Amino acid sequence: MAAAEEKEEEAALPPQKRFYRQRAHSNPLADHTLCYPSRPQDMDWASLFPSFFPPEAPPGTPPARVEFADVGCGYGGLLVALSELFPRSLALGLELRGKVAAFTRARIRALQAAQPGRFGNVACVRGNAMKHLPHFFLRGQLSKLFFLFPDPHFKRTKHKWRIISPAMLAEYGFVLRPGGLVYTVTDVPELHQWMLQHFGEHPLFEPLPPGQLAADPLLPLLPAVTEEGQRARRAGRPPSTAVFRRRPDPPVL
Amino acid sequence: SDESLFVYDCSSAEKQQDGKGTDKGSDDILAFAFSPSGGYFALTDDSKRLILFQTKPSWECLSVRFVNRRCTSLVITAAEDKIFVADKSGDVYSYSITEPKADGKLELGHVSLLMDVALSADDQYILTADRDEKIRVSLTKAPYSIVSYCMGHREFVSKILVIPNCPDLLLSASGDSTLRLWQYKSGEEVHCCQLSTICGPQAAKPDQKYTVSRITYCCQGGYVAILCDSIPTVYIFQLDATAQQLLYKQQISLKHKGWDIAFEEMGDLWILQEDKEAPLLMYRACDGQWKAVTDDKGLQKMSEYIQDNWTVFEGFVGAGSYYSHLYKASFDNMDEYLQRKEKRLQQQKKKKQDLQHGSSGQAKKKMKTEEPSL
Ligand SMILES: C[S@@+](CC[C@H](N)C(=O)[O-])C[C@H]1O[C@@H](n2cnc3c(N)ncnc32)[C@H](O)[C@@H]1O
Repeated sequence: MAAAEEKEEEAALPPQKRFYRQRAHSNPLADHTLCYPSRPQDMDWASLFPSFFPPEAPPGTPPARVEFADVGCGYGGLLVALSELFPRSLALGLELRGKVAAFTRARIRALQAAQPGRFGNVACVRGNAMKHLPHFFLRGQLSKLFFLFPDPHFKRTKHKWRIISPAMLAEYGFVLRPGGLVYTVTDVPELHQWMLQHFGEHPLFEPLPPGQLAADPLLPLLPAVTEEGQRARRAGRPPSTAVFRRRPDPPVL
Repeated sequence: SDESLFVYDCSSAEKQQDGKGTDKGSDDILAFAFSPSGGYFALTDDSKRLILFQTKPSWECLSVRFVNRRCTSLVITAAEDKIFVADKSGDVYSYSITEPKADGKLELGHVSLLMDVALSADDQYILTADRDEKIRVSLTKAPYSIVSYCMGHREFVSKILVIPNCPDLLLSASGDSTLRLWQYKSGEEVHCCQLSTICGPQAAKPDQKYTVSRITYCCQGGYVAILCDSIPTVYIFQLDATAQQLLYKQQISLKHKGWDIAFEEMGDLWILQEDKEAPLLMYRACDGQWKAVTDDKGLQKMSEYIQDNWTVFEGFVGAGSYYSHLYKASFDNMDEYLQRKEKRLQQQKKKKQDLQHGSSGQAKKKMKTEEPSL
């Protein structure tokens, strides 16, 4: 840990990526020493979003709840954009790589310090979305779930590391409320096909009708707001976006 | 009734023709289950065979099929039309009973090793327990639809049991040394029993783990008996269904390692232990206390059967713990990194406050010299 990074924290300066570099891939199937709540209700949400948990809130007010999740949020570009577009909605970024998550937290802190009263609705935790979603979120809690430039894991043997898989889709269906939306963006055509296929085949999801896509203000933003999106643009790799809607639950027979 | 013993030798059954010849398994049986009526019996073994038997009017092997991965647990529906098989890669496959040769169908998957699978008494819900801390409840007819997660265990979930005469209640056990009761459809935990406080005083080691390896339940009286990994004791509880609690009743100390336990319908408790001289024990409730029965004809007959076939059991004598490698291990130092970082932030906050209140800023300097850099 470098002294420069400490200085940065102390002054809540915008963090510099060079202090937070980490290998590109962490194995999502391995045991990590991660901190996660045993159950969603055990999570100290107030410490992540203090301005949404005022001590003087009248008793009986339902506690604020995270509504958007950014899976593999990386350096946090989407969280910053969401904060400005939806200032009343809480968004949580989940990032597996510890140093990258630490960077994003520092970035949010710096923005909060520079513009008091803003950016209080977004936060980032280190977590493994392939294992911990039900630790963080209750059934049907989320209305939007984002997968921007997920790791492609090209090798066949690594396909089980892919964040989109039949097993994971059931879990995404669990945390999303019926009508909730999944957004995916990737610059890897093979992965785009993979995601279209798996969401397309899953009984809990349907592609959003094109007519309804046009009105969504997020759509033009998504390919450009994150670090990975900017990298893809610089490299001339066109991103593909897809949106899927959570269908109603099947009847209990 | 037919007094003869049915013996089926897995080592003489057909094995998978595997071109590569790799990954050959032994004939060890990894999991088995009866159907709720007792009319069917299925087992899976280390050679990845799934073998189905009918038991009435007499025992007969109906089919030998092959599963994709080694299995950890299986369950047969009350309708007796399907077997659900849970495996080490986290998947559950179903196999038809009515078409005993048909291939399996993938039903659901966890991103973890599965340790147990159970069905509600009416077959409507399928419950799966994994090596992380999760119990998942899904619709059996639409298993992609997750009804709830029962969250709260801190280690792998070793056993789950839907209480047959309280169809909304689930009993679970875990490497975290607890037994828990759940309203499984909502995922709400209604009772947590710390085994170390109940079984603790007798334990030799102070950090003894109570990982339940077997659970058996008796509807008559609502008795629950458990066996813990590497502890030669059977613990008996009674379920208070109205209060949704487990009441500790009694323990039975064994002279040898316990291998398995089972309640009979009327409440007799069978114990299989690692001892050729007395492989089977039987306990009977008498005025609320369980006492050993020695003069039972059935016990004598079964003990002889086991002794006569001891070669089958011999291989497991002295076997190590099945669970020791399943406790969560950590392999990176991120925790430490974050803890230190958090500490630094706290220090900085304190320093700011101290400065505001006019005290010295020594603390921060000291922190720096004491901390090695990453
Ligand atoms: C290619 S990056 C994209 C980051 C960001 N969404 C962007 O567009 O810039 C993928 C990120 O997902 C993270 N990740 C991979 N698997 C994950 C998991 N199971 N849970 C949480 N994050 C994960 C990786 O650490 C990495 O930072």
